[in-house]
Amino acid sequence: MRQKSLRQAQAAKASSFDPEVVAKRTKRHLDELERSNSNYAETTGVLGFVDDEDGEAGGRTAKGRARQTISDKRAPEGGRKKKSTMNVRTAVIYRKTFTALLEDADLSSYPSSTATYLTAAAPPPSQPPRMICSVCGYFGRYRCKKCAMVYCDKNCEEVHEETRCERRVF
Amino acid sequence: MRHKTIVLDNGGHTIKLGMQGVNKNPRIVHNGVFRSDRDKITYVGKELDGCTDFGALNYRLPFEKGYLVDWDVQKAVWDGLMYGKQLGVDPPDASLLITEPYFDLPKIQDVYDQFVFEEYEFKSYYRCTPASMVPYGDLFSQRGLPPPECMIVVDCGFSFTHVVPIMSGSIVWNAVKRIDIGGKVLTNHLKELISFRQWNMMDETYVINEVKEACCYVSQNFKQELELCKANPQSNPIVCEYILPDYSPTRTGRIRQPGEQAPETAQILSMGNERFTVPEIVFRPDDIGMEQMGLAATIAHTISLLPEDLQGMFWANIGLIGGSTKFPGFKQRLITELRALAPVDCMVELYQATDPIVSAYTAAYTFASQPAFQQRLVTRAEYLESGSSACRRKFKDWKGSTLRGNDGVSGKGKGRAREDTTDSGSEETEEAEVVPVKKGTKGKGRASVGRPKDK
Repeated sequence: MRQKSLRQAQAAKASSFDPEVVAKRTKRHLDELERSNSNYAETTGVLGFVDDEDGEAGGRTAKGRARQTISDKRAPEGGRKKKSTMNVRTAVIYRKTFTALLEDADLSSYPSSTATYLTAAAPPPSQPPRMICSVCGYFGRYRCKKCAMVYCDKNCEEVHEETRCERRVF
Repeated sequence: MRHKTIVLDNGGHTIKLGMQGVNKNPRIVHNGVFRSDRDKITYVGKELDGCTDFGALNYRLPFEKGYLVDWDVQKAVWDGLMYGKQLGVDPPDASLLITEPYFDLPKIQDVYDQFVFEEYEFKSYYRCTPASMVPYGDLFSQRGLPPPECMIVVDCGFSFTHVVPIMSGSIVWNAVKRIDIGGKVLTNHLKELISFRQWNMMDETYVINEVKEACCYVSQNFKQELELCKANPQSNPIVCEYILPDYSPTRTGRIRQPGEQAPETAQILSMGNERFTVPEIVFRPDDIGMEQMGLAATIAHTISLLPEDLQGMFWANIGLIGGSTKFPGFKQRLITELRALAPVDCMVELYQATDPIVSAYTAAYTFASQPAFQQRLVTRAEYLESGSSACRRKFKDWKGSTLRGNDGVSGKGKGRAREDTTDSGSEETEEAEVVPVKKGTKGKGRASVGRPKDK
């Protein structure tokens, strides 16, 4: 598998663009657009602002201390006399990503007549996409030979090469 | 017995909250925990109202990809709202109407139940999707007629966009379609464009969101406007300047008016084709490489999945809700594109409230005053006895959907959905919990035709 992608990468560099590589980069970009946290680096703050983005957030930090929850830091108005139930405490401490929850839900095991989150996605468009210059936003006409991003003229090509060109396809 | 009812539209960006009979206009609270790295202050939900410096505000939101996954953050926000002083009634003495996303996952739904009954101890509650409330509201009231039997609700919000057909008050789940574009993606895309072309604003989500809401619009002629911007980037009818805020009391962010002299220390953003290429993504997700149809095409696709003799009615009753429909020109552009896709003899009519952000709340507010609402409630007593299965039985959602192709529903006039006879209060065996059956083939929702559901 690794051999194949190496060869593909070389082939891409040589002439045309490996659609798989482009697709991976597009997906990575779309995932970035989905982020709600503005800081890309993990932030550890007083209120446990730790970004456990991937997988299950365990109840303990690396040092084995119980993770501080944000909700514990504010006393609810009107004050809660009782402790929260086990269910609620579990939900608060053990956070799963949407991807993990989606897998758990095992939607493909529902009867095929049932609509689910997966079947609800809008289908792909029937027309090919229009090319938009990745530098200035105008209609693009050319693709970078190295990384397949779109540009519209020589000026934008220059800007692209100096800044964002992913010369190394991975 | 009737209790006071709290209506809570729990959105990915904002919560709309109020008491039935009292708050026709809801309280709007940011649904998240925000930390100012500069001031080292943390704002939980409603506390953001007191913030004056929105610079470098770090977001932590309970919703991810449109679904409630971070219950720590959600609890923090709700704790600040769900008590007597804030609500005007103690939860143990009240009923709750709360909204959830379309196609919500069962394990997530269980946690809603736990919070409502075990944490806040509401007397009873009903959980439903925002679009399902629209038939009870007045979104279509401009027609001067009662709400239409067949409608499409387009919910374009923060997390994503759904096209939801509703027939006789029930959602036709098999035809519901989702585009993964919402306000969040639009703001992030604008952040990227600006950061690449002008100033690095990747940490300035709040500020750029304001820029988006102030400057962006939907183009009626994309090609023409793009050419205009290209021809003369510095001065054309479209380009405008946005003066970034410096968070002194005198200077909030705003667009520079013609002839206005910007303060010397001000940072200025030049908004050119970004003004309309950003919202364009709703109509062309493939502009950013997302392989989904745009909104108009998706609406046409949804309608094509509905009974043929009713399709005309759907084209004529399309409602828009959700904050991301607020861009100037959104409705007009959608009408134009739909007109080109609809059959020649079909009327295409779009309806939109003055404030689409509160459309779902307003409809739910009305619904909560009706006897039908009382019938849908699950009480805390029922939950304590049977757990979440009590809710699964009573809250109709996507799990109860069955294939309803062109031969599934009578085309004569009403096309009555089998599901909604709740007024009698009887148990709907159709809506018995669908037990997932291990199947050899992947279900795509349209493969088998008219197979009756196992009861």
